[in-house]
Amino acid sequence: GAQRGEESSARLHRRRSKKGAGGLCGRARLEGESEMSILEHNGAAIIAMAGKNCVAIASDTRFGLRQQTVACDFEKVFKMTNRVFVGLAGLATDVQTLRNLLKFRLSLYALREEREMKAETLSSLLSHMLYEKRFGPYFVEPLVAGLKDDGTPFLCGMDLIGAPVYTSDFVVSGTCTPNLNGMCESMWRPDMGADDLFETISQCLLASVDRDAMSGWGAIVHVITPEGVTSKRLKGRMD
Amino acid sequence: SRARRGRSRKEMSTIVRRCDGGAERVWQASGGPTEHKFDPYDFNGGTTLAISGEDFVMVAADTRMSSGYSILSRKVSKLHKVGERTMLAAAGCQTDVVALVNTLQTRHRMYVHQTGKGMTTTALAQMLSNTLYYKRFFPYYAFNVLAGLDADGKGAVYSYDAIGSFQRVPFSASGSGQSYVIPLLDNILCHKNRQDPQPPLTPQLAVEFAKEAFVSAGERDIHTGDAVEIAVVTKDGITTETFQLKQD
Repeated sequence: GAQRGEESSARLHRRRSKKGAGGLCGRARLEGESEMSILEHNGAAIIAMAGKNCVAIASDTRFGLRQQTVACDFEKVFKMTNRVFVGLAGLATDVQTLRNLLKFRLSLYALREEREMKAETLSSLLSHMLYEKRFGPYFVEPLVAGLKDDGTPFLCGMDLIGAPVYTSDFVVSGTCTPNLNGMCESMWRPDMGADDLFETISQCLLASVDRDAMSGWGAIVHVITPEGVTSKRLKGRMD
Repeated sequence: SRARRGRSRKEMSTIVRRCDGGAERVWQASGGPTEHKFDPYDFNGGTTLAISGEDFVMVAADTRMSSGYSILSRKVSKLHKVGERTMLAAAGCQTDVVALVNTLQTRHRMYVHQTGKGMTTTALAQMLSNTLYYKRFFPYYAFNVLAGLDADGKGAVYSYDAIGSFQRVPFSASGSGQSYVIPLLDNILCHKNRQDPQPPLTPQLAVEFAKEAFVSAGERDIHTGDAVEIAVVTKDGITTETFQLKQD
């Protein structure tokens, strides 16, 4: 009786652990540890915000393995063209893979079309790339921030299978989205200049990551204007 | 379904006579044993917030009561007076909150009869913690924030978890909208990550902060909205005001 109990519980554990890894929602369970979504394994916090003829995109720079912080200079926001940045929050390996895939596709596009990809096109491409993996997705929730051809801001947020949402104020992604949404909802105003936008997005990011264990450990902000891009690192709590 | 177990369609169904005189064949959803479960808890939503000042404390809570995706009421108060100058704001399961408040108010009334004076805020804070821990293995589903004036007349805010762990804090927010509100208050109230000079905290400023926080929480949290009840406790008494929010 007791032996059979052990065997069946071992079988149960094996069955659960087979189902545990991956799956669309990304539930991951290791023996002896509590359940955590695979999107929260490495930790991230990214905001993209629109101003008057400018956009800013900011992220934390922590790279962790669950509770252990491994690096504090991990890039999650990448420049795609002079006018378009992409922020990738989620599983770090997929962040880097998608960054390389996007770089590859953009280079091919530039060779064939002899022009740079527009912001709207890039977000559409990314959405398509993610949906191609509908039943075995990349565990990233990206943000696209850029300027359209007429200089007006373009913002797009996506879930891990590519469903886009286009907003005119801000988009957020990462492990502390309630914090980020709450901050941005109160602090954002329309038609901010580049300096105001920098201050606002920085305050929103710092206040939010300071209440999240999985993100923080440094921050970087990029402000994109028709004249060019300014990138600054923020001094924040390193815990 | 697998539950049919070799029975025919006729055996799995019955003929039911309709009120219009006709009849129809009705199917059973499952033929095998069915397990029924009763979940004793329901989440009725809401957000609460308390800010302490030099000689006052402000406590605010929205007035929406919801269950799942439905709104049950737009005008249920989550602010409860438990002592002479102490307010309890609690979100969570409304029935547990009401039971808890009744317990506290009854115990306080008995204390007044026995000792001739009201309980201090610190004593009430400890009593609430003990009352919650009493039900450690079948907890009150209540996210409490206790606010009052301490023995020195300074504002005191105590924040609790469901089983009675508590701590005195400068400000606290709890409920479904707490994540939206706490980082905002860190920034505008405690001036974290800011170098600009911080103005002194007056009751009017605290009320403005609360309104700002609830407007943001109401936008993003589906369980928060309708109206906010704001109470300011000073040595002269308790003043209340109601501020309307979006009803969506």
